[in-house]
Amino acid sequence: MLEWIARGLSKGRITTRYPGRPEQGPPGYRGAVTVRGTPSAPSALATVCPTGAISVDGGHVRLDRGRCILCGDCVRAAPDWFEFSERYETASRSRTGLLVDPLNGDEKVEPARRVLGEQARALKRSIHVRHIDCGSDGAEEWEIQALWNPFYDIQRLGFFLTAAPRHADVLLVTGGVTAPMRAPLERTWDVMPEPKALVAIGTDACSGGLAASGGLVAGGVGEVLDVDVYVPGSPPAPIAIMHGLLLAVGLLRDGPSA
Amino acid sequence: MSAAEEPIGLPNYLAGHLGVEREPGPDGEVRLLVAPLGFLRTSRMLRDAGARFVTLLVADSPEPSLIGAFALCGDLVVLRAPIENGSISFGSLGAWWSAARWAERELVERHGVRALGMPSGRALTTPDPDVLDPQVHGLDIFSLPYGPVRSGIFESIQFVIETGGENIARLQTRPFFKHRGMEARVVGMRPQQAVHVVERIAGIASVAYACAFSQAVERALAVEVPPRAECWRAIHAELERIASHLDVIAKEAETTALSVGQARFQILKEQTMRLRARLTGSRFGRGVVIPGGVRFDGGIETGELIAELAALERDLRRDRRMFLGTASMVDRLFGGGELKRALVEEYGAVGPLARGSGVSTDTRHERPYGDYRRLGLRVVTMRDGDAMARINVRFGELSESLRILRQSLDHLARLDGKLSVRIAGRSSGAAFGWSEAPQGELAIWVEIRDEVIHRLHVADPSLRNWALFDHAFPKDVLTDFAFIEHSFGLTPAGADR
Repeated sequence: MLEWIARGLSKGRITTRYPGRPEQGPPGYRGAVTVRGTPSAPSALATVCPTGAISVDGGHVRLDRGRCILCGDCVRAAPDWFEFSERYETASRSRTGLLVDPLNGDEKVEPARRVLGEQARALKRSIHVRHIDCGSDGAEEWEIQALWNPFYDIQRLGFFLTAAPRHADVLLVTGGVTAPMRAPLERTWDVMPEPKALVAIGTDACSGGLAASGGLVAGGVGEVLDVDVYVPGSPPAPIAIMHGLLLAVGLLRDGPSA
Repeated sequence: MSAAEEPIGLPNYLAGHLGVEREPGPDGEVRLLVAPLGFLRTSRMLRDAGARFVTLLVADSPEPSLIGAFALCGDLVVLRAPIENGSISFGSLGAWWSAARWAERELVERHGVRALGMPSGRALTTPDPDVLDPQVHGLDIFSLPYGPVRSGIFESIQFVIETGGENIARLQTRPFFKHRGMEARVVGMRPQQAVHVVERIAGIASVAYACAFSQAVERALAVEVPPRAECWRAIHAELERIASHLDVIAKEAETTALSVGQARFQILKEQTMRLRARLTGSRFGRGVVIPGGVRFDGGIETGELIAELAALERDLRRDRRMFLGTASMVDRLFGGGELKRALVEEYGAVGPLARGSGVSTDTRHERPYGDYRRLGLRVVTMRDGDAMARINVRFGELSESLRILRQSLDHLARLDGKLSVRIAGRSSGAAFGWSEAPQGELAIWVEIRDEVIHRLHVADPSLRNWALFDHAFPKDVLTDFAFIEHSFGLTPAGADR
């Protein structure tokens, strides 16, 4: 056992300084799609997207990050309008905040439910988190689990994992909600004590993603319960999820940190 | 080789003796046409000859048919019986072959097929978490539903455990809480777009899925992939395997509360994920493998990648030695969840699970595809069949994957030329494609008509291995549950699709 302790100490600090220090993905990382300000797009541009995240209205392009699966079909087909950015911070406290609209500013912030931190100031450094999978592809679970690894160590920010929904302050939901998971989701949410917050993790949870059009999956968690924070991405990286959690408890405001 | 010189294998023997006709098919697939009544008899002969059941499906190409796939002697035997008068009924395979039971039930429940003599039982594809269906009676025996919402960050699946408190008297594994209809989703899509969906069937095996799907498309349309693309595919697939195996080992350490050990393996896994992010722009290697080749070169210089992997291997070797030397860790794994070889074979299990019970099955070796035809592979097997054996198989495979990576990167430096070719030539076709996912053999059947996907069927390793989970507790108690579950290392997303 002593050998393990020595081994653990020998590697030094590897934990990220986020959110104190901003962080973004490595060069070439596909963190988010941004719309370039080029005017007048052909309406055929909307058909490029497999999930219908792009809409063109009178030559004016709009992108819904809540639907985007970061496949890059648009960036390859229309590099004049779309490009990838390496940013992690894409979470938003409202669904409309995920709409990227070059005319109306990059991110539109709408008043959401009062954040958990405001509701219960004392909770800010002791947030208990519960997770429920409602039909993810399994990758979101890996990324949430990663938050407790030494690289991210979200415990340093006061987030703890709890097994019981009755002890939970925040519910993380992945997947666009399949029929058999609807009732378990509602039950889990119902037994959580107030104040509480719900965070939708991943594009599937935000909008149903690719699976939604088949009819077996609802169009995201928002169709079943009110969502406090949306974290788009397929899957979102651990820092992106951390950003969403910090938004939910009021330790960060909308928009990128720093 | 002319027909006369070809050795008489079982497929040809069958073709000669049973009114079974051999049809042309792509390499590695032995396609046999049987009359509807001959389907059951031929399947039984294949089993008696030692074939491993792979999957059962309804296909439309070249005509509406029932298809059974079986792995035999380095071939995939594809047995096809045409459907007459629109209604499909066949003699049940599940009645005498455990491996076929879940695949058959899924077909019956989803596609309105009738399997005569199919064993009765609860519905598989429409799980109800509140129906416990207890069957063990006795003093103090109770049913414990575990899932679909579980403690910790796990995917949704339900286990109903019947126990008196210690021993597990009966276990029911209930998948399909996450069924998203991903196979139907791709119908009408072009292969290049469909691959986005396929990558998201099982997110932690994205590369394996993209490879199996792409190979199916390429085989169906007779497309040759450039060598550099094949080399990159192997590199991405092995990195995926490394991440997945490290994840399983970290979870085992977490279950024994071996915190530093858990942290160490999580660090190695995270380093692998970051390496993949730098290589492909995605932590899960998505968007790289496409039908026709790969989309781009890796984002790291080969020399740097080799150095990074060498550092990873050094750390891994040390952590592995310490893990295997920690008595509190390995004591929990020894003898846990013992699966006898005969049982594993009866259920047609695949992947590290089968290899842990001494069954030397690995798609990369059995039916080598892409770069594995050149690479050669040491299949790691253990005989004990317990959780320790399954973890040891993964440790062995980590070293083997790192060796393959070294070899591939060395080879890559000497290759030039294109990364992908256009999917041109034939516009319609149907074929199986396969790859070895970290969980085991993955087989995907694709039908393409006029350049769009007409049908997709996935035989996922997780679903096939989970059928065995009910039998994984011969002498184990409730507290062993988590160890045994993690040692299986499966993903519900892939099983449920």
